[in-house]
Amino acid sequence: MSKKFLILFSFLLLSTPSFNQMVYEFNDSLQEKRFYALISEIRCPKCTSGSIASSDAPVSRDLKNKVYELVLAGSTDQEIKKYVSERFGDFSDYRPALEGPNYFLWFGPFVFLGLMLVIFFIKRRV
Amino acid sequence: MNQSLRFLILLLPLIVLTFFAKVLLVNEDIKLPNFESKDFPLFQLNDLNGNPVQSRSLEGIKLINVWASWCITCLVEHPFLTNLSKQNIQIVGLNYKDSDSKANAWLQKHGNPYLFSIFDPRGDLAFDLGVTGAPESYLIINNKVVGHIQGEMNQIKWETIFLPLIQKAQQGS
Repeated sequence: MSKKFLILFSFLLLSTPSFNQMVYEFNDSLQEKRFYALISEIRCPKCTSGSIASSDAPVSRDLKNKVYELVLAGSTDQEIKKYVSERFGDFSDYRPALEGPNYFLWFGPFVFLGLMLVIFFIKRRV
Repeated sequence: MNQSLRFLILLLPLIVLTFFAKVLLVNEDIKLPNFESKDFPLFQLNDLNGNPVQSRSLEGIKLINVWASWCITCLVEHPFLTNLSKQNIQIVGLNYKDSDSKANAWLQKHGNPYLFSIFDPRGDLAFDLGVTGAPESYLIINNKVVGHIQGEMNQIKWETIFLPLIQKAQQGS
């Protein structure tokens, strides 16, 4: 009786969800670090807001596999992000590149803050 | 000095509000005004009958529709696509992460609005196109991707996004 149960329970071991996922193996720890940094900085195109690291949507899985391939192939972080944004748009990068209209995105808040401070101090002096 | 400053302070929230209103009032469904056109990605794939797809077959004005037999919303937009194909719009299917037997059975059952369907079981071409799921549609004019719609294709999206692009292209040529 107990043997039967033992066999039955051993099947549970085989059913872990991790079997579903790809296991990423790297040549060195730097590659691994870069991979995990990159997938947390690339936005899942299918989610409202979340990185591909946090998503198991099919397209996120594809993206992770692609990032993995590119990291192993020796592409730089910038090349990888460009590769992704060429296909899925600027939207895909959680850290928008410092160029063009994105300057507003990066520095707009500071300009705004500065403006408020100026107004604040002028007002106080009056 | 004091007067103009007060005026400026009153004006500031107004400016901010206008800015946010502009950003927020854009209808999510009908955005993409600044879609950057790009070349259609290179690919080597067969159609659903097993014949290699020639890049020549994508010349002119083509609507590329990403679909799959497992995709529920594809069934929702199917009548609309059928209707378009009857109006001589050339639609090419991109069968996405599907099996050819299931895909062909689906077409048999629901009708085939496509000139042909590119069979992309691993989603390679779809990845290069930036497909996030099915259904999605792309407008191709002379091997350039000029428009992209995510989700179900319908009358409103067709008329507000793709039709103007087609008319512009036809006037230009």
